[in-house]
Amino acid sequence: MTITHSSDGLGTTGARRGTSSLRRLLARFESLRGLALLAPTLVILGITVIVPFLLMSAMSLWTQIGFDYADDWSVRNYTTILSEPLYTTLLLRSLGMAMAATLLTVVLAYPMAYFLAFHVHRNKLVWLIIITLPFWTSYLLRVFAWRVILGYEGVINSGLMEIGLIAEPLNVLLYSRTAVIITLAHAWAAFALLPIYVSLEKIDKSVLEASADLGEGPVMRFFRVILPLSMPGVIAGTFLMFIPTVGDYVTPALVGGPNAQMIGNLVQLQFGTVNNWPMGAALAITMILSITLVGLLFLGLMYALRRWAR
Amino acid sequence: MTIRQMISGVKQGRLSRRAFTRSLLAAGIVPVMSSPFPRRAMASGDGHATVFTWGGFDVPELYQDYIEKHGDVPDFAIFGAPEDGLTRLRSGFVSDLIHPCMGDIPRWRQTGLFQPIDISRLSNWPDVIPSLYEEPHNLEDADGGVWQVPFDWGQTSITYRTDLYDLQGEESWDILWDERYAGRIGMLATGDDAWWCAAIKAGVPFEEIHTDEAFEAIAAVLREQRPLVRTYTDDTSSLNQALAAGEMVAAMTWNSSAVELTFEEVPVRFAQPKEGALTWGCGFMLHAEAPNPDRAYDVLDALISVSAGEFLTGDYGYGHSNARVLELFDDEELAALTLSRDPMDILDAGHRSIPQPPEWSARMNTLYEQIKAGF
Repeated sequence: MTITHSSDGLGTTGARRGTSSLRRLLARFESLRGLALLAPTLVILGITVIVPFLLMSAMSLWTQIGFDYADDWSVRNYTTILSEPLYTTLLLRSLGMAMAATLLTVVLAYPMAYFLAFHVHRNKLVWLIIITLPFWTSYLLRVFAWRVILGYEGVINSGLMEIGLIAEPLNVLLYSRTAVIITLAHAWAAFALLPIYVSLEKIDKSVLEASADLGEGPVMRFFRVILPLSMPGVIAGTFLMFIPTVGDYVTPALVGGPNAQMIGNLVQLQFGTVNNWPMGAALAITMILSITLVGLLFLGLMYALRRWAR
Repeated sequence: MTIRQMISGVKQGRLSRRAFTRSLLAAGIVPVMSSPFPRRAMASGDGHATVFTWGGFDVPELYQDYIEKHGDVPDFAIFGAPEDGLTRLRSGFVSDLIHPCMGDIPRWRQTGLFQPIDISRLSNWPDVIPSLYEEPHNLEDADGGVWQVPFDWGQTSITYRTDLYDLQGEESWDILWDERYAGRIGMLATGDDAWWCAAIKAGVPFEEIHTDEAFEAIAAVLREQRPLVRTYTDDTSSLNQALAAGEMVAAMTWNSSAVELTFEEVPVRFAQPKEGALTWGCGFMLHAEAPNPDRAYDVLDALISVSAGEFLTGDYGYGHSNARVLELFDDEELAALTLSRDPMDILDAGHRSIPQPPEWSARMNTLYEQIKAGF
């Protein structure tokens, strides 16, 4: 159904513009083919993302009264979010922690991806599998594993006590922002690693030879050729990592203490114990908007950097 | 969870799937990640009743009579805190039975999601201790029955390490506000417990807990305490492990933590604070559209039986609603469990929460979350 509709729609606009050349026609068919290929995804996206998003936007304008909602369409929830320091602080903290985790992951994942792309020549698949092996276990298990590592009687504390570096277990490891950032950086690493690897892998090796022939040293070659060419992967990895980690609530719930709670925890509470769904919806929408804003700023920064580099 | 405990847990076969899920539940994870349909519900088709309860109450020992009659345990769905459970029921999940506490009854009844329970269908009902259900809000409009069948009762108090915590003077709520142990105090994350305990600490009479002054006074003591708190959680396993490891020296807990730690030979005491503990009774309510009401009655009957009570009191340290259970334990054992032959001795000696309207709950929970987050 959807396919027919879109083809009709495009067909008529195309005809109206009077694009008759063969090339335009082919291009049109190509976009049609693209749409047809996208159609199942679009339908699922519509049902599972867009419709709930609209419902949530509507709900965020309601007010919770006891067990009932007053659908009086007010922006009260949003004014509360902007005026109460709790919400803005948690939002900013979540953005900050997600940025830290993303930065950490990209910095750590890049050398791995680089090694994989340029220095592994045989059995690349095996290497890829080995590197992504931790991601074969559930996300929760990875978070729990970090609890075991960072815990009061955990691996790090027992190890340090064994060597005699500390007499008492360190309390600061678990239940802290650092713990959340480390766990997020590990738990989502594959999402940054794989796009970076793909973009590095795509780089034409003859370009590298050319830069060497023109007298570029390895360091300059990296900064002037490899890094710019792999930026699409870095940007994709950054987004894939940053967007979900801002709203993450499992990790702060399990390894973050009172000072490391994130906006996701607050959203979850609104839909649970606090029982204020409109507020939860408003918080979620605010979160989506701030992620979009930060994403756009980041893209703008990248664009500016690229122009400056030229 | 620590490595050492994990290894010893595995050795002794104690690291159960249950303990693991319980940790997740307390963090509010399973209710969101798991399907809203009870386990086996799709495959079974044998019409088992569904019991929506706390983690730890999904053990066969509590349902012996039901198992004998129907061959298997009922289906379970688990919540981290009853308020979460209510949210799920209100968004359309249907279970036969759900497990809130006494103070919740009036507010929960307002949702219209529950039906009165016909006590004549429960063979063990004559043994149920009347003071546990004879509350006006539990009996009114119930057609001669009750809205909630009482099941467990106990206290919310402080479990502290007798070897690590230097007690000066009498046991008191001040233990959880002791600045000498900053960063080594554990707190329950639900306001249903913490808020009322803080009211006791702040000296706010429960009759006045709805006033603005009470909100301010309670919030003030909780804010004062926050820098001392290692973590806020409803996960009793986490609290127990932290207490066992010495990571925490004292934590707000229910009876079971002290009992379980004593079984593990950790030197702890369940404090009897001089200001009085918070006391509670909980039980089961029947969903208005319970799909398997007959089975639900069998579950209720099994829950209030002597065998269920023996397990609940002996292994978990909670009081049980069946009067004959108390005959199985001598006075010394009961005193060690901080229970008494007459539940009212305990429940009235402490402070019992008073039912509040939904608006109060919303305000309290919102404020408590703010305080926990540092505001």
